[in-house]
Order: sequence, then C-alpha cells, then structure tokens
Amino acid sequence: MMNSISNVEFLNELVNQICKVQKYENISQYQVAYEVDKRDVHRLLSTLKSHGWKQLSYLSAVDWIEENQFEVVYIVFNWDKPVQIQIRCRIDRENPSMDSILPIFPGAKYYEREAHEFFGIAFPGNPDYKKQLILEMWDDIPPLRKDFDPSAYSDRKFTKRDYPTDYAVTSKDNQRLVKREERKRRATALRGGNKQ
Amino acid sequence: MKSTKFTPYTKLSKTETDRKWWEIGDFFRRNSLWLLMYCTGCCAIELPPAMTSAYDMERLGMGPMATPRQADILLVSGYLSLKTLRRLVYTYEQMSEPKYVVALGSCPINGGIYHDSFAVINQLNQYIPVDVYVAGCMPNTEAVMNGFVDLIGLIKSKKANGWKEYHKNNDWFKENQITALGKVVIDDEFHQ
Amino acid sequence: MKEMKLFLGPQHPGMHGNASVHMFVDGDIIKRSYLLPGMLHRGFEKQMERKLWVQNISLIPRVCVPEPDINEMAFAQAVESLLDLKIPERAEWIRMIILEFARISAHLMAYGGLGGPTGNYTLMYHAHGDRNMILDIFEQITGARVYHQYIVIGGVRQNLPIGIEKDMHKFLDSLEKRLPEYRDLGVDNPSIIMRVKDNIMLPEAVVWELGVTGIGMRSAVNKPYDIRKVMPYARYDQVEFEVPVSNYSDARSRVDIKIKEIQQSINIIRQCLKKMPDGPVRVKPARGQSMRWTVPKGHVYSAIESSRGEFGYYMVSNGGTYPYRVGVRGASYPQGLLGIEKYLPGTRIDDAALWVDTMGICSPEIDR
Repeated sequence: MMNSISNVEFLNELVNQICKVQKYENISQYQVAYEVDKRDVHRLLSTLKSHGWKQLSYLSAVDWIEENQFEVVYIVFNWDKPVQIQIRCRIDRENPSMDSILPIFPGAKYYEREAHEFFGIAFPGNPDYKKQLILEMWDDIPPLRKDFDPSAYSDRKFTKRDYPTDYAVTSKDNQRLVKREERKRRATALRGGNKQ
Repeated sequence: MKSTKFTPYTKLSKTETDRKWWEIGDFFRRNSLWLLMYCTGCCAIELPPAMTSAYDMERLGMGPMATPRQADILLVSGYLSLKTLRRLVYTYEQMSEPKYVVALGSCPINGGIYHDSFAVINQLNQYIPVDVYVAGCMPNTEAVMNGFVDLIGLIKSKKANGWKEYHKNNDWFKENQITALGKVVIDDEFHQ
Repeated sequence: MKEMKLFLGPQHPGMHGNASVHMFVDGDIIKRSYLLPGMLHRGFEKQMERKLWVQNISLIPRVCVPEPDINEMAFAQAVESLLDLKIPERAEWIRMIILEFARISAHLMAYGGLGGPTGNYTLMYHAHGDRNMILDIFEQITGARVYHQYIVIGGVRQNLPIGIEKDMHKFLDSLEKRLPEYRDLGVDNPSIIMRVKDNIMLPEAVVWELGVTGIGMRSAVNKPYDIRKVMPYARYDQVEFEVPVSNYSDARSRVDIKIKEIQQSINIIRQCLKKMPDGPVRVKPARGQSMRWTVPKGHVYSAIESSRGEFGYYMVSNGGTYPYRVGVRGASYPQGLLGIEKYLPGTRIDDAALWVDTMGICSPEIDR
C-alpha cells in the first residue's frame, strides 16, 4: 500500500497535465476535490479511469439558487491507491444539461435518471433519462430545488389530524399565584392544621 | 317460577338467527386470525421477532399468510408513501370480509416524524378504516402483541366494524383517495 | 410463445423489503426485468435541509432500517471532518463496538432472509432468535431497540453502563458456539445447495461495470477491498482481523463469506473490550447552544463499510445552522437497479427472490 501523501502528489501532476483546475481542495489524506469546467469532465474522467479510478461512487447535483447555477458532482474511488476524488462542475440553471458519462461508467445510468427527476437536469446521451424512477405521477416542479416547499405541498394534498386546542391559556392576568395559594390552603386543611 | 311442563317453542326471526351464527363465527375468527405479510414501512422490523420464537405470535393463534384473499388482518407497519398507498388500497379491496386493519407506529396517526414531507400521507383514517392503532416510534414488540390482544377484545365486544364503514361511507373514502393520489389504479406499460 | 407479464410484487413472503420486480417471462425463464423502487420514498434529502444540525440526529437512523448505526456514524464523521474536531479516544472504541454489533445483526437478518425463498423457515427462526438478543443488548446501552441515536457529533451520547461487558461476553460465546450449526443448516445443507451452488454468478467484469462494493466485490475479485483496511477510520488500524475473500462468486460462496465475517466481528469486539481506555466520551462540537451551532463551509464525502458495501454521505455546508445539501449513497444502489435490469434475465422465476437476497439489496437505502 503506497504512502498516501505521494498518492495525492501523483494525482495532482496527472490532473494538472490534462486540464485547467479552477479550484483545488485537499480535504484529508484520503480525499481531494477539483473544480473544473464542464467541457473537461469527460476527458478527466476517462484518464482517471485508465489510471485505476474505476469505481464511480456517487453522482448528484447541488442547487445554488442565489448564483443561479447547478453544480454537478462526481465522486470516484481507487481501491489500490486509496484516494477519493470529488469532481465538481457548474452548469446553468435555466436550461440545465450535461453530457452523459454512460460510455465511461455504465453504472451512471440510474444516477443520472434520478438527478433529472429531482433537479430537472437533462443528460443527452442517456437513452431513458426522462422516465420517472422514484416518484410516480408527479405533478409539480422537481422536488429538490430550493424553491419547492414540501410542507405547503403536504398541507395541500394530505389532510392532517386536528387536535382540540382547549389547553391554551387565554386570559391575561396571572392566575398562577392565586392557584398556588389555593393549593397550599387545601393541603394544610387536609393535613389538619399548620405544618410541623 | 317456571313450570316444569314443556315450554312452547318460540321461533326466532331471521335477523336473530343470523346474529347467533355470526357470534359463533366470531368466536372461531378471533382465536385464529391470519396476518397478511406485507412490510410497508420501517416498523416491519419488529415483526419477525413477533412471528418467531422470541415473542411467539402463534400462541394467540395468529400466523402469517401469503395472499390477501385468505388473510384476515392487514397490518400497516409504519408510514405510507404515495406509491404504497395505491397498492395498499388495491390489496385492501381484494381481501374478503370480515377484515381488520391494525396500524403500527405513530406515522398513520398524524404523520409522525415525516409530517411535513411531500411523499408521505398524514392520516390513514381518511383512506382506509382503521381498527387498532399501536403508538410508538418504533413500538416495542410487546406493544405490538398488546395491540393484537386488544383487537381480539374488540372483536369479542363487536366493535371492530371497520369493513362495514368502508361500505357505508365508500364515497367519502374514494374522494379522499383521489385528492391525495390522483388516480388509484395505475396504468403504465405494465399494468394494462 | 407469447411473453407474460408477472410481478414479484411488494407483497410477497419471500421478498426482502418493499420493492417490486416487474418481469416479462416466457415459460419459466425471465426475458426482461426491472426493479420498481420508490415505495419507501420519504423525501429524506429535502427534509434534512430543513432541520438543524442537532435535530438531524433523530431523522438520520431511519434511512437504513436493518442497520441504523451506519447512518449516524457516516453523518457524524462528515460533520466532524468539516469542523476539524478530534473526539476522545474512548468514544472511538465504543463506536467500533456498536458498529460491529450492528454488522452482526444485519448479517443474521440477511442470512435468515435466505429462508423465505428457499422454504427453509428454520433459518429465519434461529437467526431472529439470536438477533433479538443483540437488540436487548442495544436496549441496555442506548435505551431503544432499533433506532438508537447514540453516535452523535462529538462522540457518543453517554458512557456504557456498568456490568455490560459480562452480558456481551456471554452472548458472544454462545453465538460463537452456534456458528457451526448455522453453517450446517444453511450452507452445507444438501437441499439448499441444489438452489444456490453454481447459481446467480457474479463475474469480475460485471463488478467493475456496475460499481458493486462489499461482499459481492470481495467474492469475485479475490482481494481484501474493504474500507476498514484500505482507508481505516475510528481505530480499525489498531485491531487485528481478516477480511474473507474468494475467487468464485456464486450464491453459496457469498453466504459462506457472511458467516466468516460474523466470526471476524466477534474477534474485533473482544479485542475492543480489552483495549478500551477510560475517559470522557463526548466533546462539544461548536460554541454556544446546540440550536445555534454553525459548521464552516465545505463539501465532504464520508464513506464507511456497512454489511452490504460502501455507504456514504455527501455533505455540503454553507456556514449556516442548517445543512445545505445532504446526499446519501446507498450501498446496494448499483446492484439493485442496474444489476436487475441487465443480469437477472436468463434465470428462472424462482431465482428472482433469491437474487434479491444474496446480492444484499436493501430497499430503504435505494429509495431514501
């Protein structure tokens, strides 16, 4: 098992040869992150795969609504030189589309289908990314976007149970002191006289 | 004082004989209830300890059953997402009467921890009639067994009439189902 | 002959969880099939964004139902790596004990699930009888049988109760004596061998194509690719254990590896109980009241080894009191969805339910 510091250096040389890196983070000795332009993603992933990063762990998106952008995340892992690589790229929020990586990693088919269903990102190159996977007969905007409110949807469609609200204290004057005196008086009367 | 001579035979009306046969049927029914094996949600993890030798369910006469047409109890274990509710209504209507529904967990009561989620229904009573609720998140296996014993007591005192309500208020239940689900019977390329 | 549509629906005595497999069959052989997930979908990732960092601890265990502690561990590890927090040593050893007990209980449940499709219900009775004893131990430590909420950000919630080591040793000794019985009943049983030997194969090329991890990968590739050995977390580099592998992956060898892993987990727990030091078990993650904790900005992905494979949480924080985005990588996502679509056709109908059980597909973590 190689020393993990030299793994990260090897990786840095490799990636900087292929494309221009916009941002680089070294999160721990086993994890690094690169932020790249969306057109370099394919080349980067196929080169990494030929050097041993054969497993696609996760593919998803993040919604940055203030900057009006989506961020697509790919996480790959190598079991022989253990470093997890996060590759992130930003795409536009109005007409989001990203080339599918199905020819490189065939396992990405269902991840992309789910990203389309929950965010609305189109993946040309994936034959059936439009079919619904987890939701059925969904009639609203894609749910994981930041402008979707789940509790409003839930109140609209599913009725809640109402509980009677007769426990609320509605009077303004402080009744606690009066009740406390009353309780004390009753307790001493039951005990038969003053406290010992 | 009654005389020891022959008392004349009073013929019972049809409703009274029906009621007596129904009482005999209830006695046999409540001592051998069969449970439909359908794990709808997370509380189904507490069901194998109840079925196997840890907290044995067979001493109450209950056992698992494979098909809905031959089962007595539909056990709704936990929350219900929209997709499961469609299939659950379909299964409930396939069961033969009399049938009982037991709801486990606090999610069928008022939504539980998922009350503000877009995919989980909040109150099961609106869509299917429920006989017994067992509260908890998740309820202990002994609480589940207690729920079953309560159901047996309800059948004995003739209060477990959920299936009759489904027939009486069928329109109200159907309207609620359509508001929440849109369509109860699915038709994609598979279900034609 | 015309193809017939059949579904191994959600309500089935041999089905592992609430998911249905839609099949087009011709005679007895399956021609086309796909899994229909989504019946257990609760909208977790959206709900986690609306709760504070400390409130998420009660929502997290419900993602994976048979083994809830892996969720708490992955979440706590991700947040601790964003905060750069160092937790006390005793807390890491206690976390290892809880995780290994959860691994034993999940393996027992999967092993008992073999009884449904094959009709050997005795397996289920034995496995759940033992699993109930583990749930009783959990109740003594944490207070609840199934959803513990014990591993929190900053350590563990409270110390182990006095005298629990005796109960643990008694249970581990009795389980170790029964493992040959389990092997005799399930793996060496002639009537089950007929169903599982040379059946449901997983060749190595398929493993790299789908991205399968866990027992499926280790039984096909013949190398110890386990996150506990490759990227150790929480003091796994200070205990000695082996990772069982094999190079012929049919259903029988995968079930065999499960029993070997239960034996290795028992060894790990015994070493932990001996090597554990005394000390505090919890440290405060951030300044101020727990409702106002903030976590610095960053993106992190933390992965741990569950009983089915690599289980990970991808966390994005933008410096506030709520998580900005949480993504869950279910351990059985690749083999459940793409595996059933490409590799189930060609087998018989009665192998479909067995496929779902021996590949380790757990439907709550696919749907979240």
